[in-house]
Amino acid sequence: MKISLDWLSDFVNLEGVSATELADRLSLRTAEVEGVSVVGESLSQVVVGEVLSCEPHPEADRLSVTQVAFGADEAVPVVCGAPNVRKGLKVAFAPIGSCLPGDLKIKKAKLRGVESFGMICSASELELADDQEGILELEDTAAVGVGLVEHLELADSVLELDNKSLTHRPDLWGHWGMAREVAAIWGRSLKGPALSPTFSDNAELPRIEIQDAQACPYYAALRVDLKGNPRPSPAWMARRLRAVGQRPIHDVVDLTNYILLEIGQPTHAFDADRVAGDALLVRSAENGEVLTTLDGQERSLACTDLLIADSSGPLALAGVMGGLSSEVHDGTTTLLLESAHFDAVRVRRSAARFGLRTEASTRFEKSLDPSWADLALRRFTHILAEIRPEASVAASPSWAGCSAAPERELALDPIRTASLLGLPSLSLEKITEPLQALGFGVREQEGSLLVSVPSWRASKDITQEVDLVEEVGRLSGYENIDPRPLERHSEFHLPEASWVLQRLLGRRLAGAWRGYETESYSFLHSAWATRLSLEEDDFLHLCNPVQDEVHLIRRDPIPSLLDQAAANLREHATGCLFEFAKGYEPDGETPQERSWLGVVMWGEEARVDGPGSFFGRARSVAEDLFIMAGVKAEPESGRGSFSWAHPVRSLSWQAQGVSVAVSGCPDPGLLAELGLRDRAWGLLLVDLAAVIGLHPSSHAFQAPPRFPGIKVDIALSLPRELAYAEVESAVRLAGGNLLESVQLFDLFEGDPLPPTHRSLGFRVLLRTAERTLEEKDERLFLDRVGAAALEMGGQLRA
Amino acid sequence: MLQRLDRLQEDALAALAAAEDENGLRQLEVQFLGKRGALTALLKGLGKLPAEERPAVGQAANRVKVTLAAELLNRRKVLAEAQLAAELSGEGFDSTLPGPGAPDGSLHPLTVLRQELEDVFLSMGFRVVDGPELETEAHNFDDLNIPGDHPARESHDTLWVRNPSQPGAGDGLCMRTHTSPVQIRALRRFGAPLKVVAPGRVFRQETPDASHDHTFHQMEGLVVGPGVGVSHMLHAMRSLLAGAFGKELETRLRPGFFPFVEPGFELDARCPFCQSGCRVCKGSTWIELMPGGLVHPEVLRAGGVDPQEHSGYAFGLGLSRLAMLRWGIDNVRWLLSGDLRFLGQFRS
Repeated sequence: MKISLDWLSDFVNLEGVSATELADRLSLRTAEVEGVSVVGESLSQVVVGEVLSCEPHPEADRLSVTQVAFGADEAVPVVCGAPNVRKGLKVAFAPIGSCLPGDLKIKKAKLRGVESFGMICSASELELADDQEGILELEDTAAVGVGLVEHLELADSVLELDNKSLTHRPDLWGHWGMAREVAAIWGRSLKGPALSPTFSDNAELPRIEIQDAQACPYYAALRVDLKGNPRPSPAWMARRLRAVGQRPIHDVVDLTNYILLEIGQPTHAFDADRVAGDALLVRSAENGEVLTTLDGQERSLACTDLLIADSSGPLALAGVMGGLSSEVHDGTTTLLLESAHFDAVRVRRSAARFGLRTEASTRFEKSLDPSWADLALRRFTHILAEIRPEASVAASPSWAGCSAAPERELALDPIRTASLLGLPSLSLEKITEPLQALGFGVREQEGSLLVSVPSWRASKDITQEVDLVEEVGRLSGYENIDPRPLERHSEFHLPEASWVLQRLLGRRLAGAWRGYETESYSFLHSAWATRLSLEEDDFLHLCNPVQDEVHLIRRDPIPSLLDQAAANLREHATGCLFEFAKGYEPDGETPQERSWLGVVMWGEEARVDGPGSFFGRARSVAEDLFIMAGVKAEPESGRGSFSWAHPVRSLSWQAQGVSVAVSGCPDPGLLAELGLRDRAWGLLLVDLAAVIGLHPSSHAFQAPPRFPGIKVDIALSLPRELAYAEVESAVRLAGGNLLESVQLFDLFEGDPLPPTHRSLGFRVLLRTAERTLEEKDERLFLDRVGAAALEMGGQLRA
Repeated sequence: MLQRLDRLQEDALAALAAAEDENGLRQLEVQFLGKRGALTALLKGLGKLPAEERPAVGQAANRVKVTLAAELLNRRKVLAEAQLAAELSGEGFDSTLPGPGAPDGSLHPLTVLRQELEDVFLSMGFRVVDGPELETEAHNFDDLNIPGDHPARESHDTLWVRNPSQPGAGDGLCMRTHTSPVQIRALRRFGAPLKVVAPGRVFRQETPDASHDHTFHQMEGLVVGPGVGVSHMLHAMRSLLAGAFGKELETRLRPGFFPFVEPGFELDARCPFCQSGCRVCKGSTWIELMPGGLVHPEVLRAGGVDPQEHSGYAFGLGLSRLAMLRWGIDNVRWLLSGDLRFLGQFRS
């Protein structure tokens, strides 16, 4: 919203207060001022000139060659194309080197062979009017050489307020309300707008019939005979409207706008001759009823919309916009001026439904002071008498309903106020003063205060004691509040297990496993349902997604991690991404929330299984994370319920009878569909809540052994179909209780082995706590391994 | 015999002089002085000599042995010195060749920032709590004093959620639009007095651009107890900023409106990047950083806390925005891009 300082000073003396000061203080005390602009700044170089002579252009019929005096030493020749240019006329003149709105720089020009040293301006070139023909004619008394801004008294500063910071303040949507804040902040007095006397009667016509008193508690209509047709507004009004961004139209519409911007109360003028019958109805629309609004749009109404109607149909969408059929036009002579109080919610819903945020609806939806309805009529009457003395206004409006504002008195505890604000030395006077300055009534009662809320704040904004605390606080100055630590003994809280686990695993993955933690979106493209061989109904849905097709809420992070990995392939042939994420499953009445850790790895691999493979890597990551988490989990072959996992190359991890993770490769069909088959992939998904739910396995220190061990490297050539796990068991068995550890260090196929065989290389550590092992121990082990290998259809190699 | 001994000594000395490194010396030591070396072999013939010659030859052999051992020692020393001198000359060593490179892997910048801030609050006795991203309308709005007809509900541009296993039911589920519902959950779970922070992701129905995304991160703070006021909030906010920017920043409070606090504030901080206005603070030297305020009595009630007995403050920090400020990230969409060229810049 824009606030003109010139207009503001009608109500409060702004002497000694600069626009920027005003903006800064209002931002700190009331609402955010986003900017300050100076009206007329773009016209600062335009001056009053006089046309000393005016001759036809020798080469062009429509052009004139003039001599213009503008206060400089000599008059200059200027070529002008306006039909109304003539000798003796006082004009707005832009000399060479000056600038016009729109960054138009005035230079010396040659028009059809005649040199021109400046420009005589039209009102539209000066952005003072929209489309007036010809050059602007100034009064004969205008002093040549004086700045145009000074001559027209255009100088004004305009504050731009952030509307969002005013949503809770129905009283601040006009100059008068803002002036009250300024007066209270600077401790100056507030003048009220000049009004016509109060209305005493209820006029007979038009009859007002309110069918929904909740939607429209009060409705008044005032008959005005213009004694003529609408005409342009006086300059001062047009200037103020323009300064705050309103285009002047004619005095009737301009005056309703002026009052809206001044008091904050919207009014609407109907052409009385275009209202059928003798009654105005305030009623809910019927479904399908049609109204063409002022903007020319045909609106199909619903029963939630509130209408003003006459006997023949809808006239206006209440509180939002008038109808085209009853609009005031050039030939209008008589008005019905509406001023009413509409329910904020009803107005807001209609405006939102039609996407029609108007100046009126913006104000009504804030819950305006109901008593403003009459105030606006009295202000209208007063100004109309000034600008259109011949007009005849009915002695009273006709009205229905009740315009009384809610009366409210709240108790305010001064000690509590001081404590909440952190202003310990806040005295009773310091509490009372700002409240009174803002129009609150304050009386003392047994050390406490009773505060009556003025009508313009009682409609919504101030309902509880804390609302008053805010008023006291902001006017006392928040800068006076000193930061203070909360002096309270801090108990120790055991951190949440999930928080500890996430920190632990995140650091491990980023550190030891060289993964990059990522954040991916929670929403999936609907194509993912098919890709995962699921139904769309296996997901929760967004009703109003940002992108239509991206409306599934992810069950786990693997799909979005795959999407992110795929986007990285061009630049990164290998990589590892992981994410801590929440997932949701419909699962009956209440959706199920799951906390996941997802890991996706990709790159090249020489084998699809074993230590160098991504399958193997995912397995090791899982094993490592379980050790970090302090739980014991065992892998089983299979992918559980996760269809993105490979049906065969997957491990489902079980601990204490619970599934805690899946590791392995992605489903090959899924990879094909995503076009990702040319890479090797590893996946891991850990159910964090399940891990946290487990009893931690005990872990105790073991003293390092005193006796040295023997490292034995062996290679076994064995039939391929023999699973590694079986071979490892056989090696362990051969080692007996001397065997401390077994590690696969080589896996080899091909020449010189027969094609049916592969070679497994083990590094075995033998040790016993009782003695130093001897050569014969090693030999015995090798004999046993050799025998076992033979038994398994293979042999111990070299 | 003596002649042969002389020859041996001569040969050995020549060989030692020609040896270029320790390896060579060791070979010569074995060749001449070892158990099966030349000297031993020669002395095997000692027994065949007449008895009277033996002492002289034995002495001579011993001399040869001592001489060679001394020369060996000497050569070792010379060679070691030469080697040291060569190493110290720097020859043959290229200090500009690279190392193996730093390993990949890092936490997400939002995590880095979040953990730093969590540590600030943990040190002040706060709990760190979590809340669901899928929320009920009641938690996200009603309990926070944002009734159904409140315009704030529309301005939140909520992403509403449908549960297909409950068709038709307007079950009032949404992706939470802020971390504030955790206020209600924490109050109900822990009661008062209470100090918590709750980081997490939040969602808005918003078309993404450089400064807006439909998914972003916040950190909620809530303190409730007897006599808690604005000065305590200010203290916590300033501690948080000091933690995030590594230095104390001047701050100011402005009035701000949020239905779940009263009075409500916007906290501005002096721009940490300039003295006299820059692109980040749009020339104003102030940056709007954090909304907050005293917890509205209705919210305390919804959380089961008596507003006559307890008061509190709450604030909502935009983690995404803070991360962007901290690292000068020009587009919010980098944060959820998963782009390794982005993620690779935040080793910590």
